[in-house]
Amino acid sequence: MKTPILFLLICLGMGTLYGQIEIYGTVTQKNGQPVLGANIYLEGTYDGASSDENGAFRFQTYETGVQTLIVSSISFETFMMAASIEQFKNLNIVLKEDVNSLDTVVISAGTFEAGDNSKVSVLKPLDVVTTASALGDFVGALQTLPGTSTVAEDGRLFVRGGDAGETQIFIDGIRVFTPYTPTTNNIPARGRYSPFLFDGITFSTGGYSAEYGQALSSVLLLNTIDEPDQEKTDISLMTVGVGLGNTQKWNNSSLSVNASYINLAPYIALFPDRNDWQKPFEAFSGESVYRRKFEKGLFKMYVAYDATNFTLTQEDINFPDGLYFKLNNDNLYTNASYFGDLGESWKLETGGSFTRAANKLGIDDSEIENVENSVQLKVKLRKRFSNRFKLNFGAEQFLTDFNEDFQNLEIPETSYGYHNNISAVFAESDLIFSRKFAAKIGLRGEYSGLFQQFSVSPRASVAYKTSNYGQLSVAFGDFYQQPFGDVLKFDQELEAQKAQHYILNYQYFHNDRIFRAEVYRKEYKNLVTYNTEFPDFSSNYNNEGFGYAQGLDLFWRDNQSIKNLDYWVSYSYLDSERKYNNYPEQVTPSFANKHNLSVVGKYWIGEWRSQVGFSYTFASGRAYTNPNMPGFLQDQTKSFNSISLNWAYLISQQKILYFSINNVLGFKNINGYQYADVPNMNGIYDRRALQPAADQFFFVGFFWTLSDDGKENQLDNL
Amino acid sequence: MKKLLFYSTLFITLSSFAQAKFDQGMEQAFDLWKNDQPWEAANLFERISQAEKENWLPSFYVAQINVLYSFSEKNEEKLSAQLNKAQDFLNDAKSLSKDNAEILVLQAQLYTAWIVFDGAKYGMTMSPKISQLYEQAYQIEPDNPRVASGKVEWELGTARWFGKDTKPFCEDLQKAVNLFDTYEPKGKFYPNGGAEYARQSLAQNCKEE
Repeated sequence: MKTPILFLLICLGMGTLYGQIEIYGTVTQKNGQPVLGANIYLEGTYDGASSDENGAFRFQTYETGVQTLIVSSISFETFMMAASIEQFKNLNIVLKEDVNSLDTVVISAGTFEAGDNSKVSVLKPLDVVTTASALGDFVGALQTLPGTSTVAEDGRLFVRGGDAGETQIFIDGIRVFTPYTPTTNNIPARGRYSPFLFDGITFSTGGYSAEYGQALSSVLLLNTIDEPDQEKTDISLMTVGVGLGNTQKWNNSSLSVNASYINLAPYIALFPDRNDWQKPFEAFSGESVYRRKFEKGLFKMYVAYDATNFTLTQEDINFPDGLYFKLNNDNLYTNASYFGDLGESWKLETGGSFTRAANKLGIDDSEIENVENSVQLKVKLRKRFSNRFKLNFGAEQFLTDFNEDFQNLEIPETSYGYHNNISAVFAESDLIFSRKFAAKIGLRGEYSGLFQQFSVSPRASVAYKTSNYGQLSVAFGDFYQQPFGDVLKFDQELEAQKAQHYILNYQYFHNDRIFRAEVYRKEYKNLVTYNTEFPDFSSNYNNEGFGYAQGLDLFWRDNQSIKNLDYWVSYSYLDSERKYNNYPEQVTPSFANKHNLSVVGKYWIGEWRSQVGFSYTFASGRAYTNPNMPGFLQDQTKSFNSISLNWAYLISQQKILYFSINNVLGFKNINGYQYADVPNMNGIYDRRALQPAADQFFFVGFFWTLSDDGKENQLDNL
Repeated sequence: MKKLLFYSTLFITLSSFAQAKFDQGMEQAFDLWKNDQPWEAANLFERISQAEKENWLPSFYVAQINVLYSFSEKNEEKLSAQLNKAQDFLNDAKSLSKDNAEILVLQAQLYTAWIVFDGAKYGMTMSPKISQLYEQAYQIEPDNPRVASGKVEWELGTARWFGKDTKPFCEDLQKAVNLFDTYEPKGKFYPNGGAEYARQSLAQNCKEE
């Protein structure tokens, strides 16, 4: 009875003895260096070992037949090999570097990224709200980066000698048609949208992806948050208004709603400015984001509405009683996007937007009413063939319908406008040859229904790692953009304007210090020209304009050298001339200053639970036309200086008190001059300095967050 | 009868062979870990996780080793490679075991490792996530000592950062330490550590004066 069992056990034992096979070999990198700690094993079994300091490994297995050997190690691509078990002997396995790892080269020419996800962030997400001069406006924070010009009275982004209209803003990949709040001509415009809704910002000052078009100079990409952290209510009380926000979360979805009411009446009563306000600036805005997760996708819907109105009389050298200006603006923007995983490394991004912007303006005795309705539809597919080769392609359609009614004492009601339809296709591939060498090559085709014109824009960029922490990138591209609405509404017999970018970038990033230097050359063709003081019906329009911009941008950021201090310095040198609009010759436009310098610092004082911020902006003088001398845009203002300070004090985890002062030292900056239409008795044209509405601006705010667990803190808002 | 008994025993032995193999593998991995070979242990846990695709524990331990050894890592490239690996395995564990307080706590620790590395860069965005995770874990399993102590530690650290009195947390910390004595792990190889660290923290933060 016992014998057969014993026999069975012996057989099993024998089997063990005979069936055991030894697998051994070494694991090395491409350059022959051994890999320590790699995990070598047979798929689906426990049998395996770790490689030692010589890259050697050795283990036994009872498995038979064809097996898959797997070698995995951090920062290398996983190696797999299927073969008969007897062949796993004296193996020499060479692992390929994982190009997804942190030290892989990134294409950085022209691009600044902000966010936790990007490998090299120039700005952190919260810099937008903690930069002293920015006053919580994301556009204001970006103006401290190189490549932007200081056009203090305007507030929009003027990039590398380009007009503000040459920069386009996108939310979740979908274009924003009217990104700025309307203001008077001596108060800077602000971005319409709350910086707290975004967790990623990419600012490109040139050479950007073929996915984006209709921008001659620059694109700004904003991504909304995928999933809010928790349910909460935010209350803000400010010297200029109040705000309320609420976030609700459910199993697979969430909704965030923000509303704010801004009224400058009390502030202006306390600190009167250079404008004579009949109805101080008042704005109501509301925005909401709804997000829903599906098993393999994410749907987001963003809706923003705002209504602004003000009435004032501004000083004007040609109107002794001043110039009357009244504005009512209603703006609705909705954007829906879906991001889905289709399997087999295919990804789908699709979305659309609708914008309705309505303005009612009263200027002197003229009344103007206009409505812009715009729609965009976009679909994009992404296929990852391997870590080293990815392909993006897609198509989009823009539809714009603009209508304006004009009337004054001399001209009876007149109506005019345009329909502008643009269709576009794009394709782009990411090629990563090694951790040191990567390229992006794309092509964009656009068809304008208005001009019946087809354009093709190639785009390419290449990056090469020159050392452990340094890299070089070059970028090249063609960019087309339709003439702006202020011209299109009077004349549609035109064609697209064109710019060509050439960029060379060096970036050094190590130990939380980043240095960037970029030189570029940009050439403009087919810019719109006209022959009157302002574009109107009587003007003669052409595409005969041209120009160039070239320069050097430098950036340095360091939060390592001095404890608790984070600072950055940006310097831009710009040489730009153009002939466009009604310019009689090629000259430097008034928005292009030769030298721009920004220094921004943030210092954390632990004992005071306070962050103090500092920013300094210097810009060399801007061109203006002095009719008392021959020439056009031949004179220059004095240079611009401003120092701003802010102080954020954490009263407790949920309460924060915030102070800021712009232009602390009260520099009397001059943005340009307005000359009288007719000379005075001595034959001299009198002038008036164009100054900001107020030299200084104060802001005090109290922000309070209420959350279920009482733990959410205002650090987010710091 | 005897024969029947014998064969049935043999049958049970064979059927539990897979379980025994799992136990043996896990024990071997824990031994490696105890003997100061955490990366060998992580590799073995990883091998087990690839073979036992239904069990969350091996993936959990791969993630845990990568997280724990990231707290002292100063090289950003290495840190991010380790934490990304930890996140991958933690995602695997999450998909196998839903609403698991231990996994939520480890996710909170993973985010904390980022903050420890660079508070200015990651603190502001990750700290609300961490609070939320401890809150969620606490709702699932309030008596789990790792949930209780992790939550108090986090709150205490935040209070200290804000220059507030940390004494009010001592009672909760003491309670959490006591939980380690009474808590029974829900199964073999289930997480059961953290007591030593919690006691140290109690001694450090709540000295009687």
